[in-house]
Amino acid sequence: MNAFLRNMLVVARRDFLAIVATPTFLLFLLAPLFMVGMGLAGGMGASQLADSARGAGRLVVVAHAADIEDFRAADARLRAALPREPAMLVVRLATPATADPVAIAREKGSDTYAVLSGPPASPRIVEIEKDSSSGRYLALLAGEVLRARAAGPLPPVVPQYESLSNGGTSIAVQQSLGFGAVFVIFLLTLLLAGQTVSSLAEEKGNKVIEILAAAVPLESVFLGKLLGFLGVAVLFIAFWMGMAVVGGLVAATQMDPAAIAAAGGANKAMAAFAAAPAVGWPFFIGIGFAYFVMSFLLLGAVFLGVGAQAATVREIQMLSLPITIFQVGMFSLCAASASAPGSSLATFAQIFPFSSPLAMAARAATDDAIGIHLLALGWQAIWVALVIYVSVRLFRAGVLSGRSDWRFWRRKRA
Amino acid sequence: MTDLAVEALGLTKYFETFKAVDDVSLQVPTGSIYGVLGPNGAGKTTSLRMTLGIIDPDEGSSRLLGGHKPQSVRHRIGYLPEERGLYPGMKAREAIAFMGALRGLDWSEGRRRAATFMIELGLERVIDEKIRKMSKGMAQMIQLIGSIVHAPDLIVLDEPFSGLDPVNQERLEMLVRRERDRGATILFSTHVMAHAERLCDRLAIIARSQRRFEGTVDDARALLPMQVRYTPRAEVAADAVAALLPPGAELRGEAWHFAIEDSDVEPLLSRITASHFGVTGLSISRPALHDAFVHIVRQVDAGFDADADAAVESAEEAAA
Repeated sequence: MNAFLRNMLVVARRDFLAIVATPTFLLFLLAPLFMVGMGLAGGMGASQLADSARGAGRLVVVAHAADIEDFRAADARLRAALPREPAMLVVRLATPATADPVAIAREKGSDTYAVLSGPPASPRIVEIEKDSSSGRYLALLAGEVLRARAAGPLPPVVPQYESLSNGGTSIAVQQSLGFGAVFVIFLLTLLLAGQTVSSLAEEKGNKVIEILAAAVPLESVFLGKLLGFLGVAVLFIAFWMGMAVVGGLVAATQMDPAAIAAAGGANKAMAAFAAAPAVGWPFFIGIGFAYFVMSFLLLGAVFLGVGAQAATVREIQMLSLPITIFQVGMFSLCAASASAPGSSLATFAQIFPFSSPLAMAARAATDDAIGIHLLALGWQAIWVALVIYVSVRLFRAGVLSGRSDWRFWRRKRA
Repeated sequence: MTDLAVEALGLTKYFETFKAVDDVSLQVPTGSIYGVLGPNGAGKTTSLRMTLGIIDPDEGSSRLLGGHKPQSVRHRIGYLPEERGLYPGMKAREAIAFMGALRGLDWSEGRRRAATFMIELGLERVIDEKIRKMSKGMAQMIQLIGSIVHAPDLIVLDEPFSGLDPVNQERLEMLVRRERDRGATILFSTHVMAHAERLCDRLAIIARSQRRFEGTVDDARALLPMQVRYTPRAEVAADAVAALLPPGAELRGEAWHFAIEDSDVEPLLSRITASHFGVTGLSISRPALHDAFVHIVRQVDAGFDADADAAVESAEEAAA
């Protein structure tokens, strides 16, 4: 094996084992459980709030007995066609007790968004907020009742649906997939790559760095450290992917297939998989992982290089904020580019080395070109090497020489 | 090919405006034990770091093991830095194997050799102990083993004896000799003269950033004249004895102390014999390396002081 690679692997092995073979690694590995737990707790609370709000909200139609069924039928037709269902419709029989729509709107115990009363041709609509969608829906409902009456009995419509889902995922869905890829890679990089900033602190603190510097090229030390941390990151991802698969299988065996079918769950799942990225799922997942690796190496190399210059733990802590802001900046750039494929912003994000992995992952969702990804990976690899090279030069010139007042812009004053 | 294991020429290093090392050259014959001596802050460590290519010299160059650049023969070098460093969470055997692996030694072979070395040096009870649980001296021995576990051709030890108790210092001397007998070249720095005197085939003395001496231990000791301690019979008059001895002879108690050149030893003995002053005590000895070292360093310091005085005077004259 090449000596450089061998040295790199020796350093990576040491770092990987030093991280993994500690009790604190378990805490690190299980940290997402806390995140998921907090998310579930918050989600359940929000869901309960939403459910109670949804149950309490209503639209009310006060109609004569002859119109009640027409309103209900029209409501059913409209709801089926609307992307977002309006609040529940309550139809009441017009009596002297229900003559005042304002009183109905102010009834306690539920939120009444709008009340329709009077004949469908000239209804009176009382709404809580002016020009609300609820009010407009009730007007539309009255119109639908009248249209159905005017057209008379209609023959049943027999639609012939044609699905293009196997080869025709919409651009919007693909853009969503692209954004999803950007988000996942960003989140994993944010969680995992930031650790590299303090990775050389151990060697500097316990003076091992001089032994390493004398024994192997510093480039292989830096790359080995990155590789060790990448190994930890991959282990982390593999663990949670494994947990997800196992959890999915367990859940599948515990659920009643009939209940799933009744809820249309199987169809929804199939529909989710049918929404394919432009390059297809297998390539998308593979290239997404490759871009995660490059993103990790690129940002990790920057953080490692910057952290290597820090003299104290406090300096390293101070570096955390600009590092996080830098990562969020890259995410924002790539998220914007994911929603505008083909734009000059997207092109810039794909070329700018530190956003390139995220932006190219987003591109894989909307563009079926494959060769460009090899080019992008090569471009990013060049930048990883460049960042490592510069970091090592700065480290050798400054930190390793023991010059406390050293600045990289003033190397020699002799 | 050259028979020099180390050939560092004109090494110079600035730290800002301070010249930490000034035109230092080291030529270490293959298979020898070579000492770099000097007071604290003389520039020994920086010279060794530049020699090994850990830091770049501002001027000069270094070639190792037959004219190779230091970076290209790293795997054939063992290095114990002045600032000791080990991963505290590692077990001793693993730490040694790790240092061997960095130099290309197989991990399992490194572990095996680590155990052998540790048993030889009486450290068998801490073979699987974590470094953080060890004493400083023990950890230093572990690091020393780590720097030679891969059987390097050149071993560079920066202040290897500091921090060791006398027993471990003795073990370290034994280890150094054994490595030399194996064929390795040893270059080490120290400011403890006793070790250098016992171990070194050749040595260099660095003071005030420059190399001030290069040669064998005997060469260094020969820089000073022989030291004589002579005690005549008690009844002999001091004035008479003083007339017999070289100028500068001092009477301390009953004994006369003075220095003479090598060539004056036999004439002195003849004079004493002929004088009938008798001999109740006589010792003629070479000065120790310690004396030579102190002599050289003091000379350098005196030169610096004179230069400084001259600079102040010229500045005052210019001001006047």
